[in-house]
Amino acid sequence: MGFLYETLKILQLMNTFIKFVHSLSRLCGTVATVLLISAILVIINMVVSRYVFNLTTSWQTEYVIYSLAGATFIGCPYVLLEKGHVNVELLPHYLDYKGKLILAIICSVLSLMFSTLIFVLACDMWFDAYVHNHTTGTLWNAPLWKLYISLPIGFFIMILQYLADIISLVTKREMPFPPAKLEEAIK
Amino acid sequence: MDPALIGLLITVVTIGVFALGIPVAFGLGFVAVTFLLLFEGFGMSKVIADTFMEGLMEFTIVSIPMFIVMGMAVASSPAGKDLYSALDRWLNRVPGGLVVSNLGACALFAALSGSSPATCAAIGKMGIPEMRQRGYSKEISAGTIAAGGTLGILIPPSITMIVFGISTETSIGQLFMAGILPGIMLTGLFMAWAIFKTWRTNMDANSASVVFNKFSWKERFEILPRVLPFLTVVVGVLYVLYGGIATPSEASGIGAFLCIILVAVIYKIYDPKKLWRILKGSMKESVMIMMIIACSYLFSFTLSNLYVTQTIAEVMTSLDVNKWVLLFMINIFLLVAGFFLPPVAIILMTAPILLPIIEGVGFDPIWFAVILTINMEIGLITPPVGLNLYVIKGISPDITLPEILRGSLPFMLCMVLAIIILCIFPEIATWLPNYLLGS
Repeated sequence: MGFLYETLKILQLMNTFIKFVHSLSRLCGTVATVLLISAILVIINMVVSRYVFNLTTSWQTEYVIYSLAGATFIGCPYVLLEKGHVNVELLPHYLDYKGKLILAIICSVLSLMFSTLIFVLACDMWFDAYVHNHTTGTLWNAPLWKLYISLPIGFFIMILQYLADIISLVTKREMPFPPAKLEEAIK
Repeated sequence: MDPALIGLLITVVTIGVFALGIPVAFGLGFVAVTFLLLFEGFGMSKVIADTFMEGLMEFTIVSIPMFIVMGMAVASSPAGKDLYSALDRWLNRVPGGLVVSNLGACALFAALSGSSPATCAAIGKMGIPEMRQRGYSKEISAGTIAAGGTLGILIPPSITMIVFGISTETSIGQLFMAGILPGIMLTGLFMAWAIFKTWRTNMDANSASVVFNKFSWKERFEILPRVLPFLTVVVGVLYVLYGGIATPSEASGIGAFLCIILVAVIYKIYDPKKLWRILKGSMKESVMIMMIIACSYLFSFTLSNLYVTQTIAEVMTSLDVNKWVLLFMINIFLLVAGFFLPPVAIILMTAPILLPIIEGVGFDPIWFAVILTINMEIGLITPPVGLNLYVIKGISPDITLPEILRGSLPFMLCMVLAIIILCIFPEIATWLPNYLLGS
């Protein structure tokens, strides 16, 4: 009985973890979209002040660049959740369920390794900028740690999302290489 | 280790990693960091995060998400339907009118939306049943739409061209302009083939079933207010860009804003939820592309750090083969790569390596961008990853994949013909940018 109870508990924990990560990734999607919208609005601001009011623009260019880079890093786990990263599904196409599963797990593990490395190095970069109080060194002179923060955050959630993906694959919650893209394109 | 050998090893490993089905971005990143750390030691780890970030630190890159928003706004509204009926109403008296208007609609919609599969879906949903109803064969209906959808990456504004511009530091304005005439030429070649084929099949089958729909001038004009504003925005953006009045990023940012407004006004999509969906969809698409950009920046960094880029360029230029033979080989290479990988990834991976070679033997980089893009177009309608084919299969399930392929094949040959014509008359690509911007 004790064994069964333990197993159930682990299963429950897994469910909670996956649910938590998924909602975290969805939150990332929202944040990234907001960043994208803010970039559009700042461009409008920049163009209007430059061409209509003949003002020099100072912070807008950098803001737009960093907000879109931020949107990319933070949006990444959401796109992963939605299976939006493009890949070559030639070999998986010809394999049976077991083969697909093995490939999907290998892919996730390789990506997880890459994400972890980037996360660790990004933390280092961020910490360095924070401790030494590096700034952009431009007119705006924004502290770099505020701009760099999106990279470690995004990749930390990427790690979680990949872990959730691997658990979902192993426990058959999710099909390896689901054919979702096409339906979306046709919609 | 010899840089050429490392290059070979990287190529093999990259192909192997991609074959697993890993997301292209992470595959590139994984290969890049593995080789960098393996051959340069962990001392290099300091620069990895910096380099990764630096890949996106350019103002021009901003135009990519902006053009995606523009395209997404057009693609998720009924604009495709209106564009289709507008062209049908205006071109119905032209011989082979329906194919011509379908290709025209594809070219315009592809240019507006910037997405090849979205074009196939939007125009094909109306176009294919309509063509078949009026007696065109399955093959020609499917092939027309599949090929028409690919025109978007050549006709400006084109994300593919922006990516080429960023990775080779070439002027985006010039690249866009270089795509216009070849784009029109290619559309013309497609139309010529479609008309010829229809004319011949109709002669064979003796079926005079091509009926003309009659449209009054009132009907022709009343559709315009719904189509022209989008075209005006795109033309306006391009004008501002070419005139050097604003940077590509500023122009596209305004364009994105205006397209969202237009969708809200013309199609009454006020519902914030729907607008949000358009923006979220754009975010997804641009995150995917920007992630590939960041990772391939790391990839290029690794290649050049290990002297692979330089060695390949040196070897290739010292080979002393005829430059046309070299171009032929590059074309074959791009074509094969195009069968498997999306255009953006191919350009980011290969353009920094290919450009010095191309310039070394005396070709114009702007012209080469056009050649490369047409190559990428072929990849969009060839299996195994030619998404267009599967989209068409999805919207018209009773046409088999071989039929779609048979229909698309002549259009692929049209593209090959276009590449040959461009090799003989490079002015088709270079004249307009040189004339308007000076070389």
